[in-house]
Amino acid sequence: MRFQPNEDQSTFFTVLEQMMGSGGAGWRAGEDWVRFDWSAEFDQLLEENGFFDCAAEEDLGAVAAADMVFCLASLPVTLECAASSLLRPQFFPHLPRPLAVIEDEASAVRFLPVARSILHIGEDGVRAALIEPMMVEPVESIFAYPMGVLRDAPIQWMKIDADPHLVSENWRIAIAAELAGALKGGLESVLAHVRDRKQFGRPLGSFQTIQHRLAGAASSIEAARLLVLKAAQSLDPVDSATALGYVQDASTDIVYDLHQFMGAMGLTLEHPLHRWTYRARLLRSSLGGALGNMQLASVRRWGEA
Amino acid sequence: MDFGWTDRDQAFRARVRDFLAQELPSDWDEIRRHGPGSKEQTEFSLEFCPKLASARLLVPHWPTAWGGGELSTWEHFILGEEMWAAGEPRGAQYMNVNWIGPTLMRFGSEEQRRAFIPQMAAGAAIWCQGFSEPDAGSDLAALRTRAVLDGDHYVINGSKIWTSYAGLAEHCFLLARTAGAPGDKSGITIFLVPMSTDGIEVRSIPSLIGHGDIHETFFTDVRIPATSRLGGEGEAWSIITYSLANERVGIPRYELSSRVLGDMVAALKQRGQFRDSAVQARAGAAHAACEAARLLVYRVVDQLANGRDPDADANIARVAVIRADHAVTDFGLDFLPDTFSGTGHPAHLAHHERAIVAGIAAGAAEIQLSLVARRHLDLPREAC
Ligand SMILES: Cc1cc2nc3c(=O)[nH]c(=O)nc-3n(C[C@H](O)[C@H](O)[C@H](O)COP(=O)(O)OP(=O)(O)OC[C@H]3O[C@@H](n4cnc5c(N)ncnc54)[C@H](O)[C@@H]3O)c2cc1C
Repeated sequence: MRFQPNEDQSTFFTVLEQMMGSGGAGWRAGEDWVRFDWSAEFDQLLEENGFFDCAAEEDLGAVAAADMVFCLASLPVTLECAASSLLRPQFFPHLPRPLAVIEDEASAVRFLPVARSILHIGEDGVRAALIEPMMVEPVESIFAYPMGVLRDAPIQWMKIDADPHLVSENWRIAIAAELAGALKGGLESVLAHVRDRKQFGRPLGSFQTIQHRLAGAASSIEAARLLVLKAAQSLDPVDSATALGYVQDASTDIVYDLHQFMGAMGLTLEHPLHRWTYRARLLRSSLGGALGNMQLASVRRWGEA
Repeated sequence: MDFGWTDRDQAFRARVRDFLAQELPSDWDEIRRHGPGSKEQTEFSLEFCPKLASARLLVPHWPTAWGGGELSTWEHFILGEEMWAAGEPRGAQYMNVNWIGPTLMRFGSEEQRRAFIPQMAAGAAIWCQGFSEPDAGSDLAALRTRAVLDGDHYVINGSKIWTSYAGLAEHCFLLARTAGAPGDKSGITIFLVPMSTDGIEVRSIPSLIGHGDIHETFFTDVRIPATSRLGGEGEAWSIITYSLANERVGIPRYELSSRVLGDMVAALKQRGQFRDSAVQARAGAAHAACEAARLLVYRVVDQLANGRDPDADANIARVAVIRADHAVTDFGLDFLPDTFSGTGHPAHLAHHERAIVAGIAAGAAEIQLSLVARRHLDLPREAC
């Protein structure tokens, strides 16, 4: 049991942190008060420098990739990092990214308007296809992602030679990492606010109600991150369902509290809080949501009956 | 980062489990049912701990000079997990092993060390911890029990409360005030007091958490030699801060919770009640709570093992440990209510009685949350 990163992981995260602090990763309001900030230039910078491929490097591995997804999701910009970091290097390194993963054909899919490849993970197998912007209809949405649906254009699906269960468990872990990171970003933003903002002559953050609820959120988020990292290493199907179920379950109360403590400011598009909470509010329902994943973890651990 | 166990850790755990399988009697569930502070379990510990000592499993992490085997922080921790999950057959003696013994090694006089440590290493010493008082719970520094120097003796007056094991303990690790007013940490001193000294009276407090677990302990003109003082006058706060540092994550409660949860699921399956998806989801949630606590605690153990101060990470872990204990017993209350009545299932009941203590004893949940807010989230001090 070792919680410290190895030397390569340490260097990797130092560089990542520097990049995260650079331009293109911070808060920008965007034109027309859009609900998300798709940072194409920062995405490209990460891709060019090979960050999304770190899972394939022996001394970095899936644990570092999952932790990177957690870190990147804590930024106010929206990045397609989950599928690119935890699925692509292992299963389809040659597909151009960004990737959009289609879980449910009837719904709008995140990242579709910016994606260059799409994936479909089914019981019977994994398929992928290259797509062009004209094949996608962007959809307006409350969620802080570029959302879209496929137009009725013919799609050239390719069968991917990979175990669909393995792909789908990696996807479960990737979503859990992204959700935990989004919550962490929201928490940091609210912490900065409650340290600073005064009411009744004292900082909001000195009120015990606020302290305790944020401390509880911090405990859940830290636990979620560790559950994700462990699942990324073990690839145990109980661990992956546990990680996603845990963070989805925690996200409901955390998102509520984050908005509460931001007051009216948190309801505006002038403050970035929504950039994290409206990613979390989409991801909480992924792959069965909290109840579905908790039940899955349970059945995987103890059987049906 | 690596979440796997080393071969050495696994072998050590297997050794502890084998020992428990061999040495716990068939009526152990009945004995443990009374709780770690009960007469039954305390008496049992006096048979069991000497056996542990012979197997070199009582104080394996202590220095060899004191009967230990210099084993690692992780091995010490694995021992704690296995013991707690088995219903803590060491009873009160876990305190000697974890912190009273090591504290005496570091701060005790030669005479004190020789008087107390060998007995602890042999598994034959029952101690209690006299910290809390009626007016000093979470705010421990408010304690009022006084020790006044009179020639070469101290005279102690005051009272302690919630003292576990006091009814059967031979010694008390006592905090008393030698100077200052309630609230003044620098006036508190440690005394190693034989419980048989005249003027000490112990009353058991009927409780929800097992028989004879908690007590009131009264001190009326209790005269003890000045050599019973541990360290100097006024040094209690710094000494206990040191000695409880390794106790910062507290008891590895999630290990018992996780096993009891598995047991509860097995009972529900036997009754055909585990087909319901709502029951399954709740079991999954309780499992997740246990695993969350486990990983946060392991992170702290890893820090201790590497000689780093876990600081607020220990408080973060404690919050999750409390939640996990409650998640499991609440699962039982919701889906197996009859397990808590009549003949029920003694392990579930015993777990329940441990679980409801989790957020109160050894620093309330709210105190942990406040510490997380201040130390980890860098929030301003609470205003009054
Ligand atoms: C089973 C058991 C065994 C124990 N064994 C021992 C023992 O062997 N020796 C010993 O010395 N003590 C022992 N204790 C006592 C234990 O240390 C105290 O119960 C604990 O420190 C809390 O003190 P209190 O019970 O007086 O609660 P209080 O300090 O009166 O607090 C009550 C509640 O108020 C809330 N609270 C308190 N302060 C704050 C704050 N600042 N902010 C927000 N909320 C707050 C918390 O919810 C807390 O639970 C034991 C307790 C139990 C339950």
